[in-house]
Amino acid sequence: MIQPLRKTHRRIFLALALLLPLLFLSGLAFRHSWPTPAKPRNSAALQLPPVATP
Amino acid sequence: MSHQYQAIGWNRQKRLYDLVVLTGVVVYIALFIGFGAWLFPYATAETLIIRAAGSAAFLLLHVVLCIGPLCRLDSRFLPLLYNRRHLGVVTFLLGAAHGIFGIIQFHSLGDKDPLVSLLTSNQNFRRLPDFPFQQLGFLALVILFLMAATSHDFWLRNLTPPIWKTLHMLVYVAYALLIGHVTLGLLQSETSPVLAFATGAGLVTVLSLHLAAASRERAVDLKKLKTVTNGFVDACSVESIPEKCAAVVSVSGERVAIFKFDGKISAISNVCRHQNGPLGEGRIIDGCVTCPWHGYQYLPETGGSPPPFTEKVSTFQTQIVDGRVWIDPKPKAPGTRIEPSRISQAGVSS
Repeated sequence: MIQPLRKTHRRIFLALALLLPLLFLSGLAFRHSWPTPAKPRNSAALQLPPVATP
Repeated sequence: MSHQYQAIGWNRQKRLYDLVVLTGVVVYIALFIGFGAWLFPYATAETLIIRAAGSAAFLLLHVVLCIGPLCRLDSRFLPLLYNRRHLGVVTFLLGAAHGIFGIIQFHSLGDKDPLVSLLTSNQNFRRLPDFPFQQLGFLALVILFLMAATSHDFWLRNLTPPIWKTLHMLVYVAYALLIGHVTLGLLQSETSPVLAFATGAGLVTVLSLHLAAASRERAVDLKKLKTVTNGFVDACSVESIPEKCAAVVSVSGERVAIFKFDGKISAISNVCRHQNGPLGEGRIIDGCVTCPWHGYQYLPETGGSPPPFTEKVSTFQTQIVDGRVWIDPKPKAPGTRIEPSRISQAGVSS
C-alpha cells in the first residue's frame, strides 16, 4: 500500500473505532425486548387486595 | 505476473485455497441448517437459509478483513492473502443469497415491486430499535457487488492500483453498514447474549487488528533518516539485512526496499506494480525480488520484471560506508539499471 492510502486507512479505522462501538452498544441498549424472568400468568391478580364482602 | 489476458490464472495453490473455502462454507451452512431445524423446529426452511447465508457472509467478511492486518503483523499469515479476492467474491455471493431469499420472503408478496418495498416499507429513521436495517444491508450488498465485479486483474490494470485500492477500501463502509444491519436487525429480535457477544467480539477483533497494523506502519513512515553527504541518507547497517531479504526504510514520502544478495546491495521501490504489495517483505528467489502477495518478480539491479513481463519499479543509488548502507533518496526512473554496491570491498563502495 502506498503512503497516502496507509494514511487514509489509519484515519478510517480511527473513525470506525469511535463510531461502531457506539452504534453497537446503542443498538443493544435501546432494543425493544430484553430477556425477563418468567412470571406466573396471573401474578398481577395475586397482588390485588382482598375484596370486601357485603 | 501478466503478459496476456486470462480469466483466472489457476494454479495448485489457488485450487486448494478455493477448495478449502468452498468446503468450509458448505459444511457451515449444512451444520447451521441441520442444528437450526433441530433446535428450532418451528423455523421455516426459508428462514434457516436466510440466516445461514447471512451469518456465513458476515463471518467470512470478518475473515477477509482480518487477513490484511494479520499479514502486516506476522508474515506467517501471508498464504491467506494470496487468494483473498476469491474469499471476497464468495462473501458477496453468500450475501446476495441472503438478500435475495430475504426479499422473496418479506417483500415479494405485496402489490409493490419487491425492491421498492425493501427501500420504502420502513422509513422510521428516527428510532434506533425500529431503524430500517434492511436498507443498510442492501447498501452493503451493493458495495460488495461493486468490489466483486471489479476484483479481476483486468480492472486492477485499467483503473491503476491506487484507484483500485481506493475503490476497494469501500469494504470498510460495507462493514460499518453490516454492523448496523446486524445490530439494528437480528440483535433487536434475538435477545440471546451469545449473539450479541459474538458480534461484539468480531467487531473488537477487526478494529484492534487494523489499529495495531496501522500503528506499526506509521512508526516506519515517521522514522527520520540522517542525511550524511551528497544528499545520501544513512539507511541501515549491512549486517541488519538478512541474506536475500530486505530492510525497508521511508524516504521522500515513500518506502524503499534495500536487498542484500550474493555479497551485494541493491535498493528498489517497496511498492509492487501489481497491487502495491510490500516488495521489501518478499525474498530474492531465482535472482529476482519476489512480491510476498502474489509472486510478481523484479530484478534487483534494474527494477524490471524478467521477460516476457513488463512491470518496472524505481531503483535507488546505494553506497556502503563503514558497514552502513547509504541511499540516494531521489528515485531513478522505473527500470533504470544501477550497479549493486559490493559488500566485500572495505570502506566505501558504490
